[in-house]
Amino acid sequence: MARRNLVIAGSVLAVVVLYAVLVPWLAGVDDRVTDFAQARQAPSADHLFGTDSAGRDLFVRIASGIRTSLVVALLCALLATVIGVVVGTAAGFWGGWPDRIIMRSTDAVNALPHLLLGIVIVAMFRGSLLAIVLSIALTHWTQVARIIRSEILSLRQRPYIDAAVLAGASRRQVAVRHLVPATAPQAMIAVVLLLPHAVWHESTLSFLGFGLPPHEPSLGTLLEEARSSLLLGGWWTLVFPAAVLVIVTLAVAFAGQALRKVITPPQPSELRL
Amino acid sequence: MSLRVENLTVRLPLPNGSVVHAASDVSLDVPRGTITALVGESGCGKSILASAVMDQLPAGARRSGSITVTTPQGALDVFAGEPFRGLHAALVPQSAATHLTPVRTARSQLDETITTLGSPRTSDELAVRVGLDPSALDCYPHELSGGMAQRVAVAGALAGDPSVIVADEPTASLDRALTDRVLGLLRECADDGAAVLLITHDLASLVRTGVADRLAVMYASRLMETGPAAEVFDDPWHDYTRDLLGALPSRGLHPLPGSPPQLTDLPDDCVYFLRRPETRQSGGPTALVQVGDRSYRTLREVA
Amino acid sequence: MTTVQAGREERPAGTGQDAGQAGTVPDDAPRPSEGQAPSVQDLRRGRHRDIWAMVGRRLLFIVPVTAAVSAGLFAAAKYSPFDPLVGYLGTRYMTTSDADKAIISEQLGFDRPWYSTYWGWVQDLFGGDLGLSRSFNQPVAQVIGERLPWTLLLAGTALALAVVVALVLGIAAGVRSGGILDRGVTALCVVVQGLPPFVMSLAAIAVFALALGWLPAAGLTDGGADPTVGGVLRHLVLPVVVLAISQVPWLLLAVRESVVTSKGEDFVAGAVSRGIPTPTITRRHIVPTSLAPFVNIVGVRLPELVVGAVLVEEVFSWPGVAGAIVTSARDLDMALLAFLTIGTTVVVMVGSLLADVVVALMDPRVSTDG
Repeated sequence: MARRNLVIAGSVLAVVVLYAVLVPWLAGVDDRVTDFAQARQAPSADHLFGTDSAGRDLFVRIASGIRTSLVVALLCALLATVIGVVVGTAAGFWGGWPDRIIMRSTDAVNALPHLLLGIVIVAMFRGSLLAIVLSIALTHWTQVARIIRSEILSLRQRPYIDAAVLAGASRRQVAVRHLVPATAPQAMIAVVLLLPHAVWHESTLSFLGFGLPPHEPSLGTLLEEARSSLLLGGWWTLVFPAAVLVIVTLAVAFAGQALRKVITPPQPSELRL
Repeated sequence: MSLRVENLTVRLPLPNGSVVHAASDVSLDVPRGTITALVGESGCGKSILASAVMDQLPAGARRSGSITVTTPQGALDVFAGEPFRGLHAALVPQSAATHLTPVRTARSQLDETITTLGSPRTSDELAVRVGLDPSALDCYPHELSGGMAQRVAVAGALAGDPSVIVADEPTASLDRALTDRVLGLLRECADDGAAVLLITHDLASLVRTGVADRLAVMYASRLMETGPAAEVFDDPWHDYTRDLLGALPSRGLHPLPGSPPQLTDLPDDCVYFLRRPETRQSGGPTALVQVGDRSYRTLREVA
Repeated sequence: MTTVQAGREERPAGTGQDAGQAGTVPDDAPRPSEGQAPSVQDLRRGRHRDIWAMVGRRLLFIVPVTAAVSAGLFAAAKYSPFDPLVGYLGTRYMTTSDADKAIISEQLGFDRPWYSTYWGWVQDLFGGDLGLSRSFNQPVAQVIGERLPWTLLLAGTALALAVVVALVLGIAAGVRSGGILDRGVTALCVVVQGLPPFVMSLAAIAVFALALGWLPAAGLTDGGADPTVGGVLRHLVLPVVVLAISQVPWLLLAVRESVVTSKGEDFVAGAVSRGIPTPTITRRHIVPTSLAPFVNIVGVRLPELVVGAVLVEEVFSWPGVAGAIVTSARDLDMALLAFLTIGTTVVVMVGSLLADVVVALMDPRVSTDG
């Protein structure tokens, strides 16, 4: 069941990625070129998704949007996972006081509204890709840290760790050579599960006007542009980017959930006799 | 008779395709005013009988046979779907505290039982009857200690004045003094007229207190021996009963070799011979042979 | 964070020795009138003391977090490439000479180190002076005073609506889990979870305001008219519904999960064996047990409610403080932004604490170590 979901979600994602990669390349139309004579055209044979208020073809522009959104989201998810793995491993490995302090800090970060911190950071460092990536990564590493920490805690009990220690490995060697690589599956899953959140956040920040410059639009930026078009009756400027955003988010989320079910071993059931 | 179990067989299919043989052709009679103790090692299938009597078998369970409760209004088939729980048959569960809703006080749940069953009693009255200070009823379930929780459970079982009381391992986590108290309480319930089915693995306490009137011994989903408790303790007819008694500290502490079998995909015949290869009562088709008010399982004679 | 130990981790009733288990009334205790063993009243009082202790600890925890966030804010502002003079001078920025800019900077204190600005702000704050909002051209206190009630109206109504919908549908779905309602509702929740609130807001405006024309598209009132109860309510409908829907999925799935887990627990089997009918079991056993985890989830989701309010207010031009956050961030209006950010943080943490207190009161098993 989970495998089937994974295949479906994966196929949808593959289609989307193909769209994002192939269309700009094949269409040969530069989506930066503005042509106000063609502004606000409804979908037609020439412009499958219509044009926006500056006359740019939306079919191609959305493709760039997908690319930007996914790339930025991937960077955020990777960075958040790296931070989470480091912090989680430290907490699980050292235990005791360091663990408690770290867990308290994650509670504090969790308690704060993520988007607010994100808004504040990107407002101050506007237009910088690093600011966007940091603002999302710095507020999302906590889930990863928690998962990695419990993995480490349960792995520490395994016999092969004892064996390594008895064989003379130092604590650091045990951590680096045995524990961290064993968390790789969970880390991978964490990256995939974080992607929808990252897309969500990045598109929201872009929508609010704090995102990347307009020549590198993400889906959020496109939706922000749609906002003004709407009042003038251009429904296609909203529907197509929104639909693509939703499809991408859902497909990634489904793929992540299915991946997790496939990788995590099933639990035995209990019967009392 | 107040409780009659006839040829009860329960099979529980597992997700991976195998089948758990929880009970195989179990027949038991519990007369009113007596305590019948169903004993066996852990995992032999005795607890499934408690679920069966209360018609609370797990979803997907396959059963055959019948269970009848004799009420003042006549005989009642528990599998028929008529409401009877609490009124005609009641359960004293194993871990009493977890069988109560955690966010409500014991009193509120006891009152609810009383109202639902239309009982004339009050919760204070029931508390006193089971030897509990009524103020203890104002505790939440997790605040009750083991012995108190067990007594609350007995109070709940008595609320509807049922003809049958099934006690599923009621003394499992109690120390000796509390075990004796709870068993004594069950004795009082029987003396007041109920038919008590006491399911337990604690043979030592049964021997020590002598509360049981009749005894039934179970192994790997089958009955091995039944009879008046005193007679069976003195002179067990089945090798397994002898083994169980021999394992008691008071009788020399000779533990049984090996461990009880898993009930998954059991063969059709009794498997006791796998534990005790020298027995002559197992190792082929067997049947329960009735002699007077005692019965024991032995190899069926080839006709 | 309080942890709910849903019957799996509860203290086993009577393992071995019964007397003197912590937190239970001992088995052989003398009657309370003999005045030696802890009575039920003592247990209750002890629990209330534990809850107060938790409140105290958490309030103490809020202080360093708030300080860290606010200090970080000021430090980051100092290092950002944004020049505050831009906001102050506006269009004159290009035409002002560098010498004049330096003088103005010094006058306004823009060249002070960040911790000096920060300390000054803190002192002003405790003295009651919240500063002047550049983007609204009003004292910060006035901005807050005028806008806060509208946010409370929006967020409060939306939260109430979301809670009701989540409880009703979640319990219905959980009780008949696997059924059509359950599968439909769960699928819907998964889809909605993927939608950012601003997409929903835009869609709602596009459909209900622009296409159908049933409801107004933005603001509090039509044009520059004075707010009337009817008018405000008409304008309130879309933002509230969108905000509520954006919060429902997590709440609903949590309730459903709680109900489904409860159904399989021993205490439900116990109630069945006592003869309690199924509707009563749902109403008076499953629902009360599921409520405490639900309140916990509401507390955990408070930050997301705030975020949702920010987006909804922004898209619908609702004149609340949440939308003001975006405005002040765009203009880097430090006075207002700082106060709003810190204020939101404190409110969220206090709200979460309140939720945890309610959970501890509702579920006597929950630990108060959080």
